[in-house]
Amino acid sequence: MSKSDCSFNTSTQYHLILFVAGNGPNSSIARVNIAGICENELAGRCTLTIVDVLKDFSAAAENNILVTPTLLICKPEPEVTVIGNLSDHEKVRRALNLEALQS
Amino acid sequence: MCPNNLRVPAGSLEKRSIPKAPSSIRGLDEILKGGFPLGRTTILSGTAGTGKTVMAMEFLYRGALEGHAGLFISFEERARDVRANACAMGMDPAALEEQSKLRIIHAEIPADAIKAGDFEARGLLAMIEGHAQLTGAKRIVLDAVDSLMSIFEDPRREREEIGFLLNRLRDLGMTTIFTVKAESGGLKIYPFLDFMADCVLFLDQRIEEQIRTRRLNVLKYRGSDFLSNEQPYVFSAEGLVFMPVSSMSLEQLPLAERVSSGIHKLNQLTGGGYIKGSCVLLNGPSGIGKTSLASSFAHAACSRGEKVLYVNFETSPETLVGSMQSIGLDMRPALDTDSRLRILSAMPESAGVEEHLLRIVDEMSGFSAHHLVVDAISACLRMGSGRVPFDFLARLITESRARGVTCVFTNQIRNQEYLTRMSGIGISSLVDTIIALEYFIQEQELKRRLIIIKSRGSDHSKQFHQLELSHTGLRLGRITGRESESPGSGQEDISQ
Repeated sequence: MSKSDCSFNTSTQYHLILFVAGNGPNSSIARVNIAGICENELAGRCTLTIVDVLKDFSAAAENNILVTPTLLICKPEPEVTVIGNLSDHEKVRRALNLEALQS
Repeated sequence: MCPNNLRVPAGSLEKRSIPKAPSSIRGLDEILKGGFPLGRTTILSGTAGTGKTVMAMEFLYRGALEGHAGLFISFEERARDVRANACAMGMDPAALEEQSKLRIIHAEIPADAIKAGDFEARGLLAMIEGHAQLTGAKRIVLDAVDSLMSIFEDPRREREEIGFLLNRLRDLGMTTIFTVKAESGGLKIYPFLDFMADCVLFLDQRIEEQIRTRRLNVLKYRGSDFLSNEQPYVFSAEGLVFMPVSSMSLEQLPLAERVSSGIHKLNQLTGGGYIKGSCVLLNGPSGIGKTSLASSFAHAACSRGEKVLYVNFETSPETLVGSMQSIGLDMRPALDTDSRLRILSAMPESAGVEEHLLRIVDEMSGFSAHHLVVDAISACLRMGSGRVPFDFLARLITESRARGVTCVFTNQIRNQEYLTRMSGIGISSLVDTIIALEYFIQEQELKRRLIIIKSRGSDHSKQFHQLELSHTGLRLGRITGRESESPGSGQEDISQ
């Protein structure tokens, strides 16, 4: 079992996997966006794994990743799938349940 | 630059076709002149229930049986449903999956996925490439690709993504089939696809007079010849079966060999019996003895050790055997003991014309029949309107001729005056021999008589002969005594 598997047990509160396709525009934007969230709002509470489907075919197949970028929020449960370059910050924050955390 | 295998020397009359991947689906490669374009994309569109998925799966399945690994990606149905449907069509995908010759994947984006910005379908490509590397698959089906693409919610993005996918699959040298839904009016979800693909097939079904007919239309095939027009197909227990309506060629028969009509006198009148491998039509009104004549032929053939397929559109096998007993023909041994006679009883309305044709042709081949009796072809008028009965009979004659099978068709006509003109279906030009039967009145008695109207390649009798049916059999003889009027008014026509 690797970190690119949702059932991998992390000690942190958040476990995220971002699937990208090389350095394509949307993938690059998504990398920047998720890094910002992990370094700020989720600093110290987040395990992030980035999988490049162009290099790791099997990871895409195992997780049924059809589009890139795809963000799997494995933890906290339930598991949530976010697709897109994560530029819609509001939606990403809501998917991560960040409003609830702050209130 | 033109690849070597496509280069045709200047001035050469030889027309070379692009490389193909045979579908091995019965009849389809004949229509596509060899199969799907190798390493290219074929679009398979059609309305619901026309068998797009079955056809695409059968391509992979039959290929896998021959050693070509295939990948089936379903965007709509779950993998286990795809497997179950394939099983229902006589395929066993699980066994091939175990050998990694076939892989069925249900690819789906979770319905509750959140969209947060732009994305591409690269994951799908990665998945395809991953599987292809693992199994060496060069054949791929993307089933209901529109289901995936709808996630883009933008026609322009859908088009871009499909274009990218097609190009990439082509670069990978994949022989690809895209199945796409179409509206019943033939309206397409992705009209642009027809321009992008090398081969475009359209499946259609319609129901006329409560009989369902399915048709394939090849709309485009870049770099290849194909059978144009609508090509009928059916779902059978062994998968899809296409029955190409090619230019029907009725080749000249070798006229030398004869088979007995079962009646000695009739053999004399026809110049030695029916011509082997030819088609004989027995025309006449109800109750005149058409079935008896056809059965005499069948009985004689079985007695010689030959096999006869008797297609009975009128009665059950029991009724036929029973009624033939009353004229001294015991068909039971041939039917039960010797297995030389097979009776196929069918209601014309019970199935579409393709199903009937397939069943008869399959029986003919499986049973290795020497002869075929169809009693009565007039029932074919109940299979459908327009050209349907004619097409059915024409194709049946073609199939029989290709196998060297002698056909005896009975045809019931309503009015005697149409005797010589051949009523109804209009296949008289396709048959080799026409024998007409009719009633006439002599000395206040209703009698039967027979005349050979046409017999290709034979010096045949041109006179009426009296036909007598009794419990000892059929008898043909000269008409004695003074003839009176026939009940119809066709006498002048006939005796010309």
